[in-house]
Amino acid sequence: MRNDTMGIILTGDEKIAPFTNIRANSALPIAGRYRIIDFVLSNMANSGIVNIGIATESNYSSLMDHTKSGKPWDLDRKDYGLQILPPNIENEKYGVIRGNIDLLAGIRTFIHRSTQTYVILSLGNMIYNIDFDDVVKKHIENQSDITMIYRDVTGMSDDNLSRHTLIELDDDKRVRDIEVQPYYPKTTNVSLELFVMEKALLESIIDECSSRGDVDFVKDAIIKKMGGMRIFGYEYNGHFYKIDSLTSYYQTNMQFLRADRREELFNRERPIYTKTKDQSPTKYGDAAECINSFISDGCVIEGTVINSILSRGVKVEKGAVVRNSVIMQDSVIEEDVEISHVVFDKEVVITKGRKLIGQESHPLPASKGTLI
Amino acid sequence: MMASKKCVAMILAGGQGSRLGVLTKTVAKPAVPFGGKYRIIDFPLSNCVHSGIDTVGVLTQYQPLELNTYIGNGNPWDLDRSMGGAYVLPPYQSGATGEWYKGTANAIYQNIAFMDGFNPENVLILSGDHIYKMHYGKMLKAHIEANAAVTIAVMPVPWEEASRFGIMCTNEDGQITEFVEKPANPTSNLASMGVYIFKYDVLKKYLTDDERDPNSANDFGKNIIPKMLADGQKMLAYRFEGYWKDVGTIYSLWEANMDLIDDPPKFDLNDRKWIIYSRNYALMPHYIGNNAKVRRSTVAEGCQIEGTVDHSVIFSGVKIGKGTVVKDSVIMPGAVIGDDVTIEKSVIGANSVIGNGAKLGVSPESDDNKYKSDYCTHGIVLVGEAAKVDDYADIPKCSMIEG
Repeated sequence: MRNDTMGIILTGDEKIAPFTNIRANSALPIAGRYRIIDFVLSNMANSGIVNIGIATESNYSSLMDHTKSGKPWDLDRKDYGLQILPPNIENEKYGVIRGNIDLLAGIRTFIHRSTQTYVILSLGNMIYNIDFDDVVKKHIENQSDITMIYRDVTGMSDDNLSRHTLIELDDDKRVRDIEVQPYYPKTTNVSLELFVMEKALLESIIDECSSRGDVDFVKDAIIKKMGGMRIFGYEYNGHFYKIDSLTSYYQTNMQFLRADRREELFNRERPIYTKTKDQSPTKYGDAAECINSFISDGCVIEGTVINSILSRGVKVEKGAVVRNSVIMQDSVIEEDVEISHVVFDKEVVITKGRKLIGQESHPLPASKGTLI
Repeated sequence: MMASKKCVAMILAGGQGSRLGVLTKTVAKPAVPFGGKYRIIDFPLSNCVHSGIDTVGVLTQYQPLELNTYIGNGNPWDLDRSMGGAYVLPPYQSGATGEWYKGTANAIYQNIAFMDGFNPENVLILSGDHIYKMHYGKMLKAHIEANAAVTIAVMPVPWEEASRFGIMCTNEDGQITEFVEKPANPTSNLASMGVYIFKYDVLKKYLTDDERDPNSANDFGKNIIPKMLADGQKMLAYRFEGYWKDVGTIYSLWEANMDLIDDPPKFDLNDRKWIIYSRNYALMPHYIGNNAKVRRSTVAEGCQIEGTVDHSVIFSGVKIGKGTVVKDSVIMPGAVIGDDVTIEKSVIGANSVIGNGAKLGVSPESDDNKYKSDYCTHGIVLVGEAAKVDDYADIPKCSMIEG
């Protein structure tokens, strides 16, 4: 139990149009009933961290609506708990948010007032299931200044590697070099954009960067200071998914059709919590055909659903065929509609008999409330 | 003292529900799973919240542990309130003696101090073992408008079943003129639903008097209501139209679950205007496999279905193996059904394990069946909580297997 550690979650700046036009990317629905932020938040809660701040840039109302008091993560506490920290836009000193340092500077008071010794800082828009307790333990054992969680993804294509921050390690797992989204990757160690350090170090990094006009935590602070600090890597062996494009969003959802990936991410020892909606169980009709699909509560399935991920309250009417698709909450697929390789935001309605076909590499998106 | 409450609800949740056989071996009837993800007590609790009643006492007695844990601080029903909320009320010791709840009226009597604490104008008495959606607020309004001493919810039942209920006769103003418990020759078909709203001062007086009567069974239906009628108190019948079911037997529990999957359903749980709240566990969406076939059924979160499910209610976290066929059945939370199993018209208890190739409810009922049980009428097979059925076992109709 890590009551000596606090958590800070920055909602990343990756845009996944059209879904992030209306919400912070960490509030994006995923795997049926979850939001991206549920994973890091549950990991922190499962490690006994009770002081968690989420610094948001914009569009934070969906995030606030999702987390409310923090109850689903058992984070509605008298002391600390979960806090959404809207941007400090009134403060002239910071003004427009140019990078994550500005966001951190905006919550400087929250960080300063917290009494924990260590901090876990999450900068990315990723899902994983990590035991942070063990990470902090190793951080203390190594007497590290900063611990960066990474995974060796040997075999990943260069194109894919270039989406990530990569770290070079020596035999003692000490970080020797860091490259942010390099064009020619030199290593296969991908940073999960999770950092452990003493809170006091984070405060001094924020102050120093702010006073110099630096804006990026990794490029300006860590990389420049690498020589003078003990920065170690912590190897995570599980799978992780970075959500930074429509395609990666689609492909990540599809991973949940694999039993091994489901069991890994929804680990019984470290459950993933989310807001409950008290939907009734999903109902299958007389003519329903459903195979290889991941279905949330509250759906009504009268038609055919194949290789798809359905959020809560989706309706698939008689004669409709849904293939290889990701359908978010309360969307309605009317009679005799045929859809394949689509990604629908909430409350999309496809009227009777329409046909929408995307491609595996280019799934077809529809924004919230679209009526076709 | 707190500001006075217009109405406080008291839910009688201490009954064993003995006709539910092994299902209530370790839990009280209100804690029995129902409808895919709920427990029976979710219905009165959700009804209270939707009716604007924010103070609810839950009286427990028989096997209360699971029920107490389930209710907790009332948060799942939005009943963790600063002024009111949900309270579990077990029997307690006072002075030199302590006693169990002797009857429904005595149970409420023993909690007069609890009710006094909220200074209520009216008290709503509910049973923790009925399935229905009811707006008690409307009933309370009728009760207050009529200035009744007590208002009793009634519903018309088929005449041939009337002798199973407490039956009311009313005059044209809806006032109760006669009340008979389980009449042999009913003169009315208006049955009491066990839902009462009393003026609190009247309730307190009758409970206190009843307690002094050594011959009383301390029961609302047998003692309090007839006494009030005899005294000429103003008693109003409030007519309820809609689905209401006492799931007192294995067959009625099975049947009420089957009512949910009728088309259209006799009782609709997918009603966003009247959500039935329940304690939710962190479960992922359910997964339907490559060879699965699911029709005319409900499936809850956390399930993994590889076989065929037809006309059944599958609760959260159930696993159903390849080649298995589940038909006309109720599979309670966390049950693990192996491969090539056949299950027909069965109620499978929570966390039970059914071995590969087993057959349940397929072979005809027989007198030398060692599992034969009188609780299991209409051919139903009942498997208790955490029970284990061996691979290739053949369990005939009308069997009960203990956990």
